Amino acid sequence: MDNNSQGSGGFKGGLGSIFGGGAPEYSNTELAGVPLTGMSPLSPYLNVDPRYLVQDTDEFILPTGANKTRGRFELAFFTIGGSCMTGAALGAINGLRMGLKETRDMTWSKPRNVQILNMVTRQGGSWANSLGSVALLYSVFGVAIEKARGAEDDINTMAAGTLTGMLFKSASGLKGAARGGLLGLALSGAYAVYNNWDHLTGSSSSSRLY
Amino acid sequence: MEEFAREPCPWRIVDDCGGAFTMGAIGGGVFQAVKGFRNAPAGVAHRLKGSANAVRIRAPQIGGSFAVWGGLFSTIDCGLVRLRGKEDPWNSITSGALTGAVLAARSGPLTMVGSAMMGGILLALIEGFGILLTRYTAQQFQNPMPFTDDPSQLPPKNV
Repeated sequence: MDNNSQGSGGFKGGLGSIFGGGAPEYSNTELAGVPLTGMSPLSPYLNVDPRYLVQDTDEFILPTGANKTRGRFELAFFTIGGSCMTGAALGAINGLRMGLKETRDMTWSKPRNVQILNMVTRQGGSWANSLGSVALLYSVFGVAIEKARGAEDDINTMAAGTLTGMLFKSASGLKGAARGGLLGLALSGAYAVYNNWDHLTGSSSSSRLY
Repeated sequence: MEEFAREPCPWRIVDDCGGAFTMGAIGGGVFQAVKGFRNAPAGVAHRLKGSANAVRIRAPQIGGSFAVWGGLFSTIDCGLVRLRGKEDPWNSITSGALTGAVLAARSGPLTMVGSAMMGGILLALIEGFGILLTRYTAQQFQNPMPFTDDPSQLPPKNV
């Protein structure tokens, strides 16, 4: 620590030279979290780069070796349940629409209500089943591909989406399977693009440290 | 298995719904595959086709009914947690019974009672098994007595 033997001015100069000349290096947003206690924005006591003190990103304490996000397996149940419930809601709306359309020329009576209600429950159930099984297939494929490749990135997402579409439509012939696979590829590709939008456009709104 | 930390309450419903769907769809899928294989006309191609068809048609339905059970169970569980302000096995048992009753509501009060008892007993068994397992594993982690008295340093016994 030969810095200590110098005067305070020299110390400040040394710090400034370490951090590349002090003030103009940092923008105002980056220094917002730093209390300014002197003429220089870099306090002589502040022995760290203030960029590391900006606290606008979430910071969690993680066990060493743990992933930053939850893995596919841990998210699988949530995904399946979520798409099951979404399917039930969408199917109920669709059933209501179909029921109202089909019984348009009936008077507002009990049989009409019952028919609409039947339509709602049946459509809700069937939509929930199909969306839930799509999500189940996607999760199973995702976990399997991740375990097989030993890596986790967007290729897994897109491959799992494609395979899901193909298997889900496999009952309707080769053409149907291809169409389903294409749809799955498109959807999962859109999701991957949406997920990496910041990365792709190159505009990082928040200063990420990792 | 890192899958043992449960979600906090409102999200637990979605999680349990998905878990029940998975369980029902995979378990029902295996069951239906065997059934479709056996019920199809003779010939390996026919049998495989029948098996695949049975799985394709029936597995999502079984998964769906499991998912309804799981979602309703978890919803009632969360409601009970909110109402009573604590989480204990009675919550699960009560919500199992209530779920059974609600899902059998279309077929009369007697069936409702029977179904409620089934649900309650099933959940009581699961919870009891969990408690036993916890006790059993806790025994292995008991610390030994940290300090034992050295008999040579004790005052002589008054005989």
